[in-house]
Amino acid sequence: MTFNDLVAKLTEKFPSKINSYEKFGSKYIVVDRSVAKDLLRSMKYDFGFTYLVDIVAVHWPKRKEKFDVVYNLFSINDKLRVFVKCSIENEKTFTVTDIWKSASFLEREQYDLVGVVFEGHPDLRRILLPEFFEGHPLRKEYPLKGRKWFNNADEQGLGLKFTR
Amino acid sequence: MGLMEHKFSDNIITTTVDGVINWARRSSLWPVTFGLACCAIEMMAVGASKYDLDRLGVIFRATPRQADLMIVAGTVTRKMAPVVRKVYDQMPEPKWVIAMGSCATSGGIFNTYSTVQGVDEIVPVDFYIPGCPPRPEALLDAIIALQEKIKGDKVLRK
Amino acid sequence: MSAISEKDNLSEIITVNMGPQHPSTHGVLRLVVDLDGETIVGVRPDIGYLHRGVEKLAEHRTYHQFIPLTDRLDYLSPLSNNLAYCLAVEKFFNVKIPERAEYLRVIFAELARIASHLVWVATHALDIGAMTVFLYAFRERELILDMFEIATGQRMTSSWIRVGGIREDVPPLFFEKLREFVSIFEERVDTYERLLTKNRIWLKRTVGVGKLTKEDALDYGVSGPTMRGSGVDFDLRRDEPYGIYDRFKFEVAVQDSCDIYARYLVRVKEMREANKILQQALEQIPEGPVMTDDPRIQIPSHEDVYEKMEALIRRFYIITKGFTAPKGEAYACVEAPKGELGFYIVSDGDTKPYRLKIRAPSFVNLGAIEAMAKGYMIADLVGIIGSIDIVLGEIDR
Repeated sequence: MTFNDLVAKLTEKFPSKINSYEKFGSKYIVVDRSVAKDLLRSMKYDFGFTYLVDIVAVHWPKRKEKFDVVYNLFSINDKLRVFVKCSIENEKTFTVTDIWKSASFLEREQYDLVGVVFEGHPDLRRILLPEFFEGHPLRKEYPLKGRKWFNNADEQGLGLKFTR
Repeated sequence: MGLMEHKFSDNIITTTVDGVINWARRSSLWPVTFGLACCAIEMMAVGASKYDLDRLGVIFRATPRQADLMIVAGTVTRKMAPVVRKVYDQMPEPKWVIAMGSCATSGGIFNTYSTVQGVDEIVPVDFYIPGCPPRPEALLDAIIALQEKIKGDKVLRK
Repeated sequence: MSAISEKDNLSEIITVNMGPQHPSTHGVLRLVVDLDGETIVGVRPDIGYLHRGVEKLAEHRTYHQFIPLTDRLDYLSPLSNNLAYCLAVEKFFNVKIPERAEYLRVIFAELARIASHLVWVATHALDIGAMTVFLYAFRERELILDMFEIATGQRMTSSWIRVGGIREDVPPLFFEKLREFVSIFEERVDTYERLLTKNRIWLKRTVGVGKLTKEDALDYGVSGPTMRGSGVDFDLRRDEPYGIYDRFKFEVAVQDSCDIYARYLVRVKEMREANKILQQALEQIPEGPVMTDDPRIQIPSHEDVYEKMEALIRRFYIITKGFTAPKGEAYACVEAPKGELGFYIVSDGDTKPYRLKIRAPSFVNLGAIEAMAKGYMIADLVGIIGSIDIVLGEIDR
């Protein structure tokens, strides 16, 4: 099954809600937010995209739709790689952990770094940054260096003294 | 050695006893395994067969309670900083610290919101080794320099 | 003594912490393990002790200045990471890389794969108790690091692969040492196999432990030898080829038994196949330039800079200011020793990327550890972590 067959079958199922293009060697399907989850579900069960490679969230502060969520899917039988793109207006969106299990770690990481909240995720908490951290570093307004010196401050409240 | 430390003046008996104590301490430095990032692989390579560390008396111990040297190899982040301090506090006296690599010395190329710029903000350091990662000969040089430093230590003398 | 009825369940679940400083966790990984007696009921990884903010740093560095940072991700095989990043940036420009550069890239990538698998076999065997393999494997690794030093000047993190080719050509001493290495390596792998493969203690500790079924492997998104040890026949070098991998004949190692022993056999076979690829590349490599001619991204070589004025200006400009990438998004992935390593770059026409996401294989493989470890004893957990082959620089970035 080639990419054009796939797009034709998907346009039959979800008319006028998807758009597709190919640029720099990668194939994209841009989908409207209302049918996105059904489209992803049908891609796994009907078209054989059993391998979810990656979930990327991008922050565009100056656009009306503030975040872009891109799902990187791969089909091992057809050797076809497709990127499903979905733009969301505020930071709340749906979760795909009930479709692919690998989404659990990937969504936690995007919540931690970019701040997109995936509703329905079984265990949404910070994964890479410490619990007491405030803010989401990969947003465009967050500075690169949060603080100049460690300042010997016991920021985790553990009763340790960082003195010489 | 707590009651007798730093109490006596210099004469032939105390300098000889000090010489023996220092010889014992410097010939069997036991580090605690504290490899964090890429420099840990170079530390493992120093412990392997080409650059042998066992001939200097260095055996890596897993628990801090039986170690007297801590080689911090790799980047220290803000989440890891209390762990470094806890491991350092658990080591018994006398203890020394070597900061290996650019990240442990001064933060390295990672000048971001989550790294500590140098492990000497957390523990007092005796020797710094630059390099990213430093060559195995540089780590051997640091351990030999530490042995020279211990040779001149005053234990019983004031 | 009163009889103990079924309702007074005397055993309760204990939570044990395998802390960040531990000799067998291959870095700063913390596992919170729920135990019922000695049987594992749940495992929750707590990562982030090495999070250095590499993705945020990428938004403030030009495309060339980011190459040394990619070295420090999977620090056991640094040249593979460079290759993945440079392939992703080259997709924006659609350039033609010269032949000699392509062959040298393949040689470096396969040497990096062998180096990474040697460290894996050394530390995995050391955790399970076989200390001799550690010393033997590191002796071979010193030969490979010597070769890297002859070619690039640095043992580990060399950043030798550039956008558009390679930094500089390698001296002929490199090829002499490579020929020697390739001729002795097969017998060395035979030595490791003689020590481990039919060893009764090794078999008892690894066969039947840490099973991950084929459906679970695909659902959890694991890739690399972990996936191939569960029966999924997929390898990016053969199925989505990048560079010139379609010119080499090699076999893909697949095993069906889904346990730690299967992953061990897969990796040992991969070392032999990498050796075969090196032999073929050594015969086929041509002479020629090592950097592309495309004027948008070419860095002029040292000889040109000393003689021509335009080359001097161009080199100064491209190193201080950087080249601009067109607007859009690009993705490229390679078969790193740990799995599928990919870079997703979003650019809005500037000299720095707008957003860069690193798809790290060890991060996704670690998500499957609960499925692999439930129901086994706590002493097996050490073997299971070793068999997934994680490296914390990649997980935490």
